Amino acid sequence: MIYLDNGATTLRKPVGVADAVRRAMFTCANPGRGGYPEAMAAARVVFDCREKAAKLFACQPEQVVFTTNCTHGLNIAIGTLVKPGARVVISGFEHNAVTRPLHALQAKLTVAGRQLFNWDDTLQAFEEALRRGADAAVFTHASNVFGYILPVKQMAALCRQYSVPFIIDAAQSAGSLPVSLTDTGADFIAMPGHKGLLGPQGTGLLLCATLPEPLLRGGTGSDSLMQQMPDYLPDRLEAGTLNVPGIAGLGAALSYLKKTGIHNILHREQQEAKRVAAGLQRMGIRTFSGPHQAGTVSFLPNGDCEEFAEKLASKGIAVRAGLHCAPLAHESAGTLETGTVRVSFGHDAAPWQAEAFLRAAASVNLQ
Amino acid sequence: MKCLITFRSVTPAQRAEGHLRRMGFECGIRRTPRWMEAQGCGYSLWVREVDAVSAAEQLRQAQIPFRKIYLRRENGAMEEMIL
Repeated sequence: MIYLDNGATTLRKPVGVADAVRRAMFTCANPGRGGYPEAMAAARVVFDCREKAAKLFACQPEQVVFTTNCTHGLNIAIGTLVKPGARVVISGFEHNAVTRPLHALQAKLTVAGRQLFNWDDTLQAFEEALRRGADAAVFTHASNVFGYILPVKQMAALCRQYSVPFIIDAAQSAGSLPVSLTDTGADFIAMPGHKGLLGPQGTGLLLCATLPEPLLRGGTGSDSLMQQMPDYLPDRLEAGTLNVPGIAGLGAALSYLKKTGIHNILHREQQEAKRVAAGLQRMGIRTFSGPHQAGTVSFLPNGDCEEFAEKLASKGIAVRAGLHCAPLAHESAGTLETGTVRVSFGHDAAPWQAEAFLRAAASVNLQ
Repeated sequence: MKCLITFRSVTPAQRAEGHLRRMGFECGIRRTPRWMEAQGCGYSLWVREVDAVSAAEQLRQAQIPFRKIYLRRENGAMEEMIL
C-alpha cells in the first residue's frame, strides 16, 4: 500500500520509534513519582524528549508540556486565552479542533483571509480584523486540507503589534516547517506528536509562554499537600501518569528529525506534492495548488470524492476524502458541498509514490 | 560530605543536573527527604559540599529555580544553609 494520508497521521515511522516504545514498556516505571532506578529511568526518558523538543522549538524544557494530541493542547490554550463571548480572530482555514472549542465558548469569531495561497489577502484581512478589536487570535500554520502555509511570522508580528494574545496550531507544520515559540512570541503553540514529528499516536506537545489553565487536575508528584494545581510548568498541565512509552517513541523520532533535517523533509514533500498537482492538472482534474504550499494537495475528482478515494484504496493508494474535519477551510475554498480528495506526503516522500498515485488516479478517472 | 539542593519537581531537578554536569560538577538526583519538603513531595540534587555555593550561583545564573540548600553537619544532621 502506498500511504499518502500523512496529514492524518504518519504511518511509516523511523525504525527507532517502535524500539524506543518497546524498551520503555519494559524498563520505565512512573516518572516524577519515585526515586528508584526504574522511576528515574522513566524521568530521564521524559526529560530527554522534553529537552529535544525545547531545542527544536526554541523554548525552555519546562515550557514543553506533553498532551495526548494537538486537539488536547488547543483546548487548553483556547480555554486559557478565550473567555466566554470573547472576540477571536481566526484564519479561513481552521480545523474543528480550533472552531469547536471556540464555538463551545460562544466566541465572537472573525474569519480573516479566505483566499488560498494568497499571503496578501491573509495578512490584509488579518490586520483589519485585529484593528477592529480582538481579545485573542488562533491560526493554523498550514491548512490540513490544502497545504496552504500561512504567513505565521507576519501574523504573529501583527498580533504583537496590536497586543492580541495568540495561539498557533502547528498540527500540519511541526516536523516539516520551522516552528519557534521564541521567534513568534506566541502564547501557545500546539502540535501532535504523531504526524510530522513521527512519534506514536497518543502523543502531542503544547508549548507554553503563558501560564495556562489546566484542563485536568490531579496528582503531579509535586507539592502534594497543595489542593490547587502547581502554578508552574510543566506540572500544572501534566496531572496523572504520562504516556511514557509514547514519549520515548517521540524522543526517538525527534532524534531522527534532527539527523534528517526538517528542511530536507519539507523539500521532499513539496517536490512530490508539486509532481502530483501537475499530473492531476494534466488529466484535467481541478487541483488546488499554488505558492506557499506544503506537501499536501487537494483535488476535486470527476464524481464523488469518497468513491474516488475508495477506488484508489482498491488500487493500493491510501488517501483521505471528504471534509477533513475542516468545514471552514472547505467553505473558504468553495468545496464545502463536494469535499475533496487529499494527498499528503510524509518524511518518506519519493517520486515513485507520486508516480504510482498518478497512474492509479488516471485509471480511476477513466472509469 | 554532600549537600542537597531541593527542587519543586523532577523537571527542574533534571534541568539543573544537566546544567551542572555540563559545567563539570559532580551531582545526582534523589527524592527529597519528606521533612525537608514543606509542600509534600519533591526532588533534590546532591552536590559536593565544597561545590554548594558555586552550584547555587550557576543555577541562579541559568535561571533554574531551586528551593533550598541543605548541608550535612558533622553529627550527621542535615541543616538548611542560608546563602
